[in-house]
Amino acid sequence: MIEIRHLRKVFDDDTIPLKDIDITINDGDVISIIGPSGTGKSTLLRCINMLCEPTSGSIIVDGQDITQKGCNLNEIRKKMGMVFQSFNLFGHLTIIENIMNPQITLLGRSRQEAYDKAMYLLQQVGLASKVFNYPDELSGGQQQRVAIARTLAMDPDIILFDEPTSALDPSMIGEVQSVIKMLAKSGRTMMIVTHEMDFARKISNRILFMYDGYIYEEGTPRQIFEHPQKEMTKRFIQRLSSLTYRISSSDFDIEAMNEELTAYGEKLLIEAERLSKLTLAFEEICMNNIVNDSENPDVLVKVEYSEKLDILTMLVCYKGEKFDVYSSASKLFLDLLAEPTTEVRQDDIKDDPLGYEHMISMRFRWVEE
Amino acid sequence: MFKKIIILAALALVPCFLFAAQFTEIEDLDGHDIGVQTAVLYEELIQDRVPHSTFQYYTMPNDMILALQSGKVDAYLIEQVSYGVQKKNHPDLAVLEEPAGYINATCIIGENERQGRLLAELNQFIADSRENGMLDELYDYWIADFDPVNDTCDVGGFTGENGTIAVAVEGGYEPFSFISNGHISGFDVDFICRFARAYGYTPEFYEVPFEAIAPGVESGKYDIGMNIVVSEERNETGTLSDVYYTTPIMLVVQGEAEGGLSFFEQLAESFNKTFIRENRWVLFLQGAGVTLMITVTSILAGTVLGFVVYLICRRFGRAANSVTNFFLWLIHGMPTVLLLMILYYIVFGSSSLSGTWVSVVGFSLMFACSMIDMLRVGCNAIGRGQLEASTAMGYSDNQSFFRIILPQAAQHFLPIYRNEVVTLIKETSVVGYIAVLDLTKISDLVRSRTYEAFFPLIVTAVMYFILTAVLTRIVTAIEHAIDPKRRKTDKILRGVKQEE
Repeated sequence: MIEIRHLRKVFDDDTIPLKDIDITINDGDVISIIGPSGTGKSTLLRCINMLCEPTSGSIIVDGQDITQKGCNLNEIRKKMGMVFQSFNLFGHLTIIENIMNPQITLLGRSRQEAYDKAMYLLQQVGLASKVFNYPDELSGGQQQRVAIARTLAMDPDIILFDEPTSALDPSMIGEVQSVIKMLAKSGRTMMIVTHEMDFARKISNRILFMYDGYIYEEGTPRQIFEHPQKEMTKRFIQRLSSLTYRISSSDFDIEAMNEELTAYGEKLLIEAERLSKLTLAFEEICMNNIVNDSENPDVLVKVEYSEKLDILTMLVCYKGEKFDVYSSASKLFLDLLAEPTTEVRQDDIKDDPLGYEHMISMRFRWVEE
Repeated sequence: MFKKIIILAALALVPCFLFAAQFTEIEDLDGHDIGVQTAVLYEELIQDRVPHSTFQYYTMPNDMILALQSGKVDAYLIEQVSYGVQKKNHPDLAVLEEPAGYINATCIIGENERQGRLLAELNQFIADSRENGMLDELYDYWIADFDPVNDTCDVGGFTGENGTIAVAVEGGYEPFSFISNGHISGFDVDFICRFARAYGYTPEFYEVPFEAIAPGVESGKYDIGMNIVVSEERNETGTLSDVYYTTPIMLVVQGEAEGGLSFFEQLAESFNKTFIRENRWVLFLQGAGVTLMITVTSILAGTVLGFVVYLICRRFGRAANSVTNFFLWLIHGMPTVLLLMILYYIVFGSSSLSGTWVSVVGFSLMFACSMIDMLRVGCNAIGRGQLEASTAMGYSDNQSFFRIILPQAAQHFLPIYRNEVVTLIKETSVVGYIAVLDLTKISDLVRSRTYEAFFPLIVTAVMYFILTAVLTRIVTAIEHAIDPKRRKTDKILRGVKQEE
């Protein structure tokens, strides 16, 4: 059990990543720490094993306050594993040595014991064939799996994951996540700083939402992701699941929007073809018609994806003359409207606080052919 | 080997392309370059008569022959007696009829508690010797009828009842001080030995470049410096004895060249003069030994020192780092010669540490500075990530450094280390300034005796090449031996039974 009381950290440049943190980590907890960038998530994790020395407050590990002077930190650290964003494997050692040497040096295991343990773990993470490779010969995903095996070899009481998939290509995120999921199921105590919300939701029993140096809201994944109580949490969760654009001139940067849409689609695993349909609809409705017909265009576009229902939605609110989608001159767009997976609704809005007068809502479903 | 022969041949051909210029009066030389030995101040004798000439300064008298033959200067100033010796070896030299002037040579007496006594004794000895004709006798023997091969002086028979005197002589300056049959000899040496016998001293001779004699004596490092030409400026800064000889200064110009030996005969003759005669090869070996000793000791001591200082910096952070940076700045910012002279004359001025050991101290310091820089660069190249990983696992600071950081940093800095070793070997060639007889200094001394320009230079260069090659091979071997990526699989898994 780890208790953190009134933890505060002030950096040399007077920024305060942690203002007052209070949590208790129970054995068997799988805790994900989420929140916007720069709110102290990583700093909190690094304070727990004293890689980063707190300015004040206490961290009590099994009854011992490790922030006190005279505490044998190296002994405490042997019981805390840490997995880094940038893997940090030892470059001069082979994969097997990366896992063996710490056991021999720090735990006093025999070479044979260390080897057997290392081989067992390498098999578990699926890298038993890379024993004699050096870290720089492995892909990022493979390196991270070795790093996890290296941490496991020390039989830690808790494993701290500091954005374990942030430095990986999208194609490699899966292999690392599945290893972490396996660990979570085996009942290990873990703390994970991550930006992968879906991943956090699936593996954790507790979610900490950090904001401005505090633990702003805490709860089960269901509480945080589906029923957030506080304002900033709501905004953060909302912003994650939707993209919003406001168009007030024909100079609108479609390229930037497309890039953002692509990233959004990759993150949520939306099919590229479905996204291109959405892009086609957007260009035809907004750029070619509403913006084109108006002298002072004001269009609000919101793109949203519901994982649960597997529906991609585009909501367009606008002022000025009404545009009927079926009056479009684009054959391509009309074909799209006719597809059975596409739904469209057009309405007038009354008493909108922002003064929008009309709306068009399009939903894109997906059926595997 | 073939390349070396081509270089030798090319160098030997150089003089053939030169033509003799016609000078008869001193005034004819106005506007031409004139060579003169550094710190002897002969140029003051003719400055007014050749107001448009530029003087070129040379450390060794024999370098001026080269300069004249290769056209770098049109004339040079030298004592009549030295010219006599040079003319024997280089028949193509000629001299202007009118001497440039006369110089009076004195001894400079060191600034220490014995100064007054030594000055009085030396002046008394000069006066007595002048009276009983001994000075004239010495002048005739060493200067007027000088025989560079057979002339010797008695360098023994000292009682030493009044202690030892440290005497600074040029060492490569026939006939005043030079190495003959492996021993120091010459007019100055003979003179001081006679003085020492008369007054109960034991002389110790130090071969020092002319420009370093006066500073060395003034700092108290040497008791007596020989062959100081009298000028007003010199009188202001040092304590000088009475004049012990007067000699005319001549202007040497290029004369008629005569048909010489064939290239291979010349080569054989050069080899004979440089190595065989007077067993000079022994000197070369000793010089190479000194160079090797200074280099290797400095590398080892510097490596250890740099390593220790780096570890201290790691442990004690900012304060230790700023002190270290100050010393790095101080030592790196100084020419090697200056650092050595400061150590020799000032820091260790009053100690009895020999020039060789002062060189070792100096080069160790310089190498330690490079070592610290190399360690910093090497360790920074590894980045913080791995250090954080090992710390997070529970490695202590020392374990992290020695097991994780250093093995990787070594592969980054060893190639630089190898270059630093090469640089150090070459830098040691300046230790002659503080009376150390290293390879370069020996080569200078031999050249001053043989009047050979090219052969000893090339041979010395080859010896440096060999030293450099050996030491870099050793560093490369170490580099390979500790490269983690060159290990064999069975070494990596030693002591482990692998399941099939």
